[in-house]
Amino acid sequence: MQKLQGIAVSPGVAIGEALVIDNEGFRIPRRFVDRDAVVDELQRLEKAIAAAGAEIARNRDAVTQELGEQYGKIFEAHLQMLQGASLRNELEEMISQRHYSPEYAVSRTLRRYAQVLQRVEGSLAERASDIFDIEKRLLKHLLGRRREDIAHLTSPVLVLAHNLTPSETANLDRHFVRGFATEIGGPGSHTAIVAEALEIPAVVGLGAFLNEVSGGDLVILDGDKGLVILQPDEETLAHYRHEAEELRLQAARLEQLRDLPAVTRDGTQILLLGNIEFPYEVEHCVDRGADGIGLYRTEFLYLESGQEPTEEVHFDAYCQVVKAMGDKPVTIRTFDMGADKLVRDGSALDEKNPFLGLRSIRLALRNVPMFRTQLRAVLRASVLGKVQIMFPLISTLLELRQAKLFLKDVMEDLDEHGIPFHREVPVGMMVEVPAAVMMLDQLAAEVDFLSIGTNDLIQYTLAVDRSNSQVVHLYNPTDPAVLKLIQLSIASAERCRVPIGMCGQMSATPANTPLLLGLGLRQFSVPPLVIPEIKNIIRHVTLDECRGISERVLGMESAREINSYLADELRKRIPNVTE
Amino acid sequence: MSSRPLHRTVVVTDPIGIHTRVAVAVAEIVHRSRSRVKLWVDPAYRAEGTEVIQILGLAAPSGSQVHLEAVGPDAEAVLDALEPVFADFEKQVPCKNSKG
Repeated sequence: MQKLQGIAVSPGVAIGEALVIDNEGFRIPRRFVDRDAVVDELQRLEKAIAAAGAEIARNRDAVTQELGEQYGKIFEAHLQMLQGASLRNELEEMISQRHYSPEYAVSRTLRRYAQVLQRVEGSLAERASDIFDIEKRLLKHLLGRRREDIAHLTSPVLVLAHNLTPSETANLDRHFVRGFATEIGGPGSHTAIVAEALEIPAVVGLGAFLNEVSGGDLVILDGDKGLVILQPDEETLAHYRHEAEELRLQAARLEQLRDLPAVTRDGTQILLLGNIEFPYEVEHCVDRGADGIGLYRTEFLYLESGQEPTEEVHFDAYCQVVKAMGDKPVTIRTFDMGADKLVRDGSALDEKNPFLGLRSIRLALRNVPMFRTQLRAVLRASVLGKVQIMFPLISTLLELRQAKLFLKDVMEDLDEHGIPFHREVPVGMMVEVPAAVMMLDQLAAEVDFLSIGTNDLIQYTLAVDRSNSQVVHLYNPTDPAVLKLIQLSIASAERCRVPIGMCGQMSATPANTPLLLGLGLRQFSVPPLVIPEIKNIIRHVTLDECRGISERVLGMESAREINSYLADELRKRIPNVTE
Repeated sequence: MSSRPLHRTVVVTDPIGIHTRVAVAVAEIVHRSRSRVKLWVDPAYRAEGTEVIQILGLAAPSGSQVHLEAVGPDAEAVLDALEPVFADFEKQVPCKNSKG
């Protein structure tokens, strides 16, 4: 058994077969073969070894002729390893005795050799590449044209990869994917976003581990603790099976809250909205009785196809969501990404510090045609339901006014062409830069609503990059400084009589719910998966209790103290809730 | 002839350790001999002298002690021939009588 620690980015527990996607998109299709297929499988192995051997011999001869015997030697070594009796015996035994598929046997055996070498300190570890080379060659011949496409899965899998690109996840058959684990990536990574959207557990930033695992291996993925467990022992397996079952039961219990309102025990109605990224997630919101969409992120439109989306692409996506939500509000956030994502002409900006650079609304204001395209589509969709427009990362009054000016300009343009739109479409902004909090009285006077984006607010307040493992421990949503800014924001909004909500992970953490209610928050926008859980908490507390909690918390000195207090308070009120 | 196993312990002085080409050189020497040779660092895992992948699998870095065991008519000679292979490989003329 091997436990790997990564960063938990999407909750839940999944137990299942590994699907390993390496750099070339290889996958090992299955682990076992039928008893009566053993003879055929052994023949298949035989053929693959012969074909791989012939290929290596050709390489050896060509290289020897071109570069000299010295260089051909390495292929000679590969050939000897491949054709050695020991490897063949080992593989044949795995197939005939244990009924492993040849692919699995090859990957398992060769990776074991490679691992032994990799564990040695120094340059000997690099020799593992010779072994991997043989593995790849054999797999290529074994899988041949059947090299399975990750778009056509037939059974549930946990996808393990170095990294998942937007185009890879777009191609995955999402009905069979039960979890993601990647070697690199952080909380804001594409993998994290897609996992959350699919409502499957995900762990990222695990470091190199793909060599330790073969396709078809049984793997446990713990998206709550950020663990991936390879070759689990019986005890661990039993523990996690139990946990998965508990989670399922809890979800089923919470499902019953679907049609009940999010009202505190003393009768205050709370607006509980969903965050989505992909149009298909709107179903998850409807299923869980969301009061609307509080944050519709639109970045996927730009990332998925690798080119700038046309107005129609925008419009189609917004239509789907807006129509599905009927008379409930849908808050569409204009694109919120860094310049690094826009490499249209190959001249990507070389930004030393992208999070302090040209991103989000700043990028929009500098790419006016692109911004206008999106605004046109949003406005056109505004007649189909209850659309709201939200600008991200506003840090100055000037920026807000500029953005609104472009919107007005697009409206006039639509008017000229006689294209209908909702003239009074509510316009809001995200509160996610400390500067905006300090100036919120002025900003709030010029918008219809506000939404606190905690991920960026925390990062900019505490000066912490949460994808940097060296400082991630400083990234605390409940840091007293962050809480003060939230308190200030809510007070400003109340003074200006502008509704304020919160999207971002902080509002989706159950232990924070009473605190946020106590601070005066009345709108929560959370991933659809956690709507029932947050609703359950809202229905168990009174505002008086919550105010008591927030007052206590505001007198505390550290996130650690606050978190343990909040966890206790939650446990007191709602036993057996996950924190 | 004698079937008593002969033993010898050598220290790997090659700066990389037993790398791929060292493993190939060992296997070639053993192949040409009439003895059976086993190698190990830890007795729990013994590599067959003719199997490149197993020899590489000893994962022996520079400085490790490798035990050699040879059984056969030319056991002494094969151990003599193997010993220098574990020294700095680059400084030797690799595999003089290579088959190409």
